[in-house]
Amino acid sequence: MDIRFEDAEVRFAGRTVLLPVRLDLTERRIGIIGLNGSGKTTFARLINGLVRPSKGRILVDGLDVTAEPDAVRRQVGYIFQNPQNQIILPIVRDDIALGLKNSRLPKGEIEFRVQAMLERLSIGELGGRRAHELSGGELQLAALAAILVTEPRLLILDEPTNQLDLRNRNRVLQTITSLPQQLIVITHDLGLLDGFDRVLLFDQGRLVGDGVPADVIAQYEALAA
Amino acid sequence: MKTLYAEGDSILHRASARSKLVGLLLAGILTFLVTSIPLLIGLLVASALLLLSTRLGLKDLLRRLVPLAVTISILCGLTMLLQTVETGIISLLRLTLLLLVSTAVTATTAISDVMDEITAAATPLERLGLLRAADIGLAIGLVIRFVPEVAERYEVLRDAHTARGIRPKTLSLLVPLIILTLRDADEIAAAIDARGVRR
Amino acid sequence: MATKDIVLAALFAAIIILLGIVPAISLGFIPVPVTAQSLGVMLAGAVLGAKRGVMATLLVMLIAAIGMPILAGGRGGIGVFMAPTTGYLIGWAFAAAVTGYLAERLITPEQTGLTQIVYFFIASVIGGIVVLYALGITWVAFFTGIGLSKAFLGSLIFIPGDILKAGIAALAGRAVMVGYPLLPQRA
Repeated sequence: MDIRFEDAEVRFAGRTVLLPVRLDLTERRIGIIGLNGSGKTTFARLINGLVRPSKGRILVDGLDVTAEPDAVRRQVGYIFQNPQNQIILPIVRDDIALGLKNSRLPKGEIEFRVQAMLERLSIGELGGRRAHELSGGELQLAALAAILVTEPRLLILDEPTNQLDLRNRNRVLQTITSLPQQLIVITHDLGLLDGFDRVLLFDQGRLVGDGVPADVIAQYEALAA
Repeated sequence: MKTLYAEGDSILHRASARSKLVGLLLAGILTFLVTSIPLLIGLLVASALLLLSTRLGLKDLLRRLVPLAVTISILCGLTMLLQTVETGIISLLRLTLLLLVSTAVTATTAISDVMDEITAAATPLERLGLLRAADIGLAIGLVIRFVPEVAERYEVLRDAHTARGIRPKTLSLLVPLIILTLRDADEIAAAIDARGVRR
Repeated sequence: MATKDIVLAALFAAIIILLGIVPAISLGFIPVPVTAQSLGVMLAGAVLGAKRGVMATLLVMLIAAIGMPILAGGRGGIGVFMAPTTGYLIGWAFAAAVTGYLAERLITPEQTGLTQIVYFFIASVIGGIVVLYALGITWVAFFTGIGLSKAFLGSLIFIPGDILKAGIAALAGRAVMVGYPLLPQRA
């Protein structure tokens, strides 16, 4: 999809959270890095209208996000930093099915798609489990399944490997990189960005770096030093 | 979370949720129109048979009945003392009867079926523009989802007090519990909106 | 209705349910164990305001009605709506409404902490005690035939515990408002 920022900026309670950004994102694999509080999440949330720009606008495939958030959100999946808050219903299977509830698909078809999605992520056995009993890695994959089942064309992931042990981190990483969808990944886990097409670096609400991973990561390391 | 529904295939289990709920409502109204003690005793025996037909075990039955039975006995005993013995007996029969019938309905009706009836009952309110019937199911799901989460948080807070040598008190637990829990509301609401669940 | 209002009401309903599970508040000087659940009802109004507070209590009632044993003492099922104490249960919605309405009306951010606490206390007492007992006592009186005046006298033993709860609700309501303000302002 074509994501176009037209001088979008965000001010909150008199403070500028994100200085005006003008850019065009079309690459398949896009990373966003920066220190805590640098504006990464705000930038990502502008893309599906969870944050509204104070000035300027954001177009996703020509659709103005502020004017038509529902139409954009049908195409854009968003995985939150804390999957705990993203899972709405008590049983994993019901939660995944929730996204298809408005699709007018017959009940049997919804059940089939939910199970197929669980199996695609190799978590077929989690369907009947209670969300609050899942481990961190399972929780992240269940949240991912709930978003993927609606077949978004673009997926935004906010620190998907945060708080995962190495085995779960690798499992989530493997799942993410094998997805056919266009991806935007916010991360502190720089190893995640191997093979990415483009990386953006934010600092104090300003876009300060934009290029191939190696260059921008080097810039980030210099900035953090 | 636990539920009070007990699986089975008795006649009451097979009856539709709507007929059971409407029946219970009618039983509630009728019971208060009857003032004859012999008739009430007859109805009480009938409702006891109804409850027995669910084939709940004795231990399970006691667990379900005792808490409310105690309240009812105390109140009706007081009524006998303070008003007339007859008034006390009549209310004892009425309330016990309702306790038995409602226990039978609760034990034989699955949660999802009651939810469907509640949603159906809310549809007229939806037409009046007061609420969206689908939101009720969503909200109930959210509560059930977050009770264990809140309970865990409560324990963590209690341990945090103990670890710092502070005796946990209701007030010092309650305030952070409320703030920490409600602070997630923005994220959860954002997730619901991002997933397009309410359209 | 905004999604956030639904979520806030649901989260608070979860808190009220939890307060029915945790050990009752021991007061020492009163023999009756006091459940914290009705404290949760006062707080729902004081923290969330009338509308969302009412929604939270209604959700708790609905979840009890569908057959989950979530009321204090493990009670639940449709039978709790046909019992002598049902007035106190249905009264929760009115208690939260009145507590919430008064809190919205009386309390502003400019007031001193003490003033806010006093107003929260007044709102909790009127909503969580006066209104709740009026409904509860009326229901008991007519359901058992014990008569209004005697039902009133009988319920007096619970008043000291509930006044204490109103005190806790006032302190907690004000502390939450300082830490995470949600109460809609009407004044």
